[in-house]
Amino acid sequence: MVSYVIFTLTLCGIYALLALSLNLIWGGVGLVNLGLAGFFAVGAYASALATGAGAPVLIGWTAALAVGAVVGLVVTFATLRLRDDYLAIVTLGFAEVIRLVALNERWLTKGSDGISGIKAPLKAELGLMGFNLFYLGLVTLIVAGIWLLLRRLDGSPYGRAMKAIREDQQLAAFAGKTVLRFKLQAFALSAAIAALAGALYAHFQSYVSPDHFQPLITIYIFLAVTAGGVGRPSGAVVGAYLVVIFLEATRFATEWVPGLQPVQVAALREILVGLALILVLHLRPQGLLPECIPRAPKPVPSKA
Amino acid sequence: MTDFMTNRRTLLTGAAALAGIGALPKLALAQGAPIRIGTLTPLTGSGGPYGPVMVKAVKAVIDEVNAAGGVLGRKVELISEDDQTSPEAGVRAARKLIDVDKVSAILGTWASSVTTAVAPLCWESKTFLATVSGADSITQLPHQGYLIRTQPTTTLQGRKFGEFVIAEKAKRVFFLSPQTPFAKSQFDNITEAVKKGGGETASQIYDDKKPAYRTEIDEVLRFKPDAVVFGGYTPDTAVMLKDLFRAGFGGLKVAFGYSVNQKLVDSVPADVVDKTYTISPSSAEGSKAYERLVKLIGVPSPDPYTTQIYDQINLVLMAIALAGDASGTAIKDSIRKASQAPGGAKIDNAIDGLKAIAAKQPVDYDGASGPCDFTETGDISDSKFRYEQVQGGKIVLVKIA
Repeated sequence: MVSYVIFTLTLCGIYALLALSLNLIWGGVGLVNLGLAGFFAVGAYASALATGAGAPVLIGWTAALAVGAVVGLVVTFATLRLRDDYLAIVTLGFAEVIRLVALNERWLTKGSDGISGIKAPLKAELGLMGFNLFYLGLVTLIVAGIWLLLRRLDGSPYGRAMKAIREDQQLAAFAGKTVLRFKLQAFALSAAIAALAGALYAHFQSYVSPDHFQPLITIYIFLAVTAGGVGRPSGAVVGAYLVVIFLEATRFATEWVPGLQPVQVAALREILVGLALILVLHLRPQGLLPECIPRAPKPVPSKA
Repeated sequence: MTDFMTNRRTLLTGAAALAGIGALPKLALAQGAPIRIGTLTPLTGSGGPYGPVMVKAVKAVIDEVNAAGGVLGRKVELISEDDQTSPEAGVRAARKLIDVDKVSAILGTWASSVTTAVAPLCWESKTFLATVSGADSITQLPHQGYLIRTQPTTTLQGRKFGEFVIAEKAKRVFFLSPQTPFAKSQFDNITEAVKKGGGETASQIYDDKKPAYRTEIDEVLRFKPDAVVFGGYTPDTAVMLKDLFRAGFGGLKVAFGYSVNQKLVDSVPADVVDKTYTISPSSAEGSKAYERLVKLIGVPSPDPYTTQIYDQINLVLMAIALAGDASGTAIKDSIRKASQAPGGAKIDNAIDGLKAIAAKQPVDYDGASGPCDFTETGDISDSKFRYEQVQGGKIVLVKIA
């Protein structure tokens, strides 16, 4: 049981990183990124390939960050003129492109067999249980670090400018903010965080394949950010933990329903997930921890 | 006199103690915790059509065994989880089965990616894993014996396709397939078999979601093939067959049994699919185990995965009885004694098997999916294939070999 809890909490942390990434770009600049699973995949593959070629794990993670940021920039440049629904569709397409490349470029990614035996850092030294604890600590620490940074960013003038762009791009430009630069930077940073989550996942599971990166993950993360509260890093983190715990809890809850076949239990779990999303949107559309919008400072009375 | 009394009393106590010792293990076993077996089949997602029946077969066997007194005097308990046909969800479910339910064995992982993702958890936690996935790479994992599969490898399937077209006197063979886990290995092994017969091959990987395949067909015809082998699934193979017919191709057509099935035959004009051959790993149709399974679950012709998982649960329960221990390691060490003990009595179900084991007889299980003998690496060593042909809108059995 203990190792199951440790595993679930580690997964919570990885989902929380994805949620933070989405919150930065969606809650921050207002760009809907349905390609989250794609960036997740890019990071996972980048690190798996780098460490597979002999690089130490830390280099692999750095590579994931860098590749993620670069791919983020490319996607932003490709979608400069798109906003809202149009952007969402293109990013969704981007994630599929990544998955198809991973599926078909066998020389690089071993196709649908996937890459197995990815280095798990310090696993030999720490033993199975030790490694699981160490990894839980590491992931939690990284989540805490990035959460602090993003919170700080939100409160800074940079964060305020970002949110001004989210509310009204033209007005922000009129106020002298370089909209394009903000978008590029935010998208690159967000993509890098998602890629880091992918790299952490790859080294935790020791196996990645194109099947890992189906759009369902993106949907879970959207659910997490919506439930937690769009536009607030704490909300994203809380939402991610809740979603994973909820997904796992439905396993045990459905065991109490008598007289169901296993296939009906499986369907019931999916129904519960859908129901939860509807309830959250209906009862608390702003999320559990809604964005705090600081009050505008009172104008200082000018000296007569 | 007192001496004698003491002696007699001592003797009595001793005898009682001896009897007690003899009774103890039995008592402890009867009260022992249930043996837990997990299934991890796809109940939702693209494998959704297969998983539910698979679980049903396992449940039926376990109910039967429990009614006959269980294994080692312990009840067997089934815990079913859904892998959602996704390695990410599959790993979460496997974690729960291993860490919370503490199952001895996990049966029935279906998609190759799910099996590859779940396998390390199993061998690290010394849980036994039996799978129906076909990708060659699975048994090459460092699984230390904790994994067996009942599905023939793609290598074997590819070779059978190649040998068949050569036997049908085709020399130029074209392989058409969408990107699947087995497409490459399938083609390589067809090529090997065809080259051995003095022929030549070419292949094309297509996108399985297109409504028409004119350009792909042009490419095929440019090769001037005598035979075309289809590696796809039902929907795309139906489109491919239509376009190939329209282009006037009159050569040999060979496909997997699961793609050119009765549903496909009914959905296209008879001429389009006529004379197409299908090859599939044969369930041991007509065998005692197969008929028993049909009766047990009330499904007239169970798919190959169901026959395989039926054999897996029978084998695992017998292995536990043979080892006298329900741990994953015990199953790993004795599974081959249940499946292929030399000179063993031919057994086709767990109930008879458990009786034979209790009578200290060696057993050799022959199941609903085939003889179920395993190599060192966990692959089945022999499998029969079923060759059929579409004739006038009906699928007709040609041979089983």
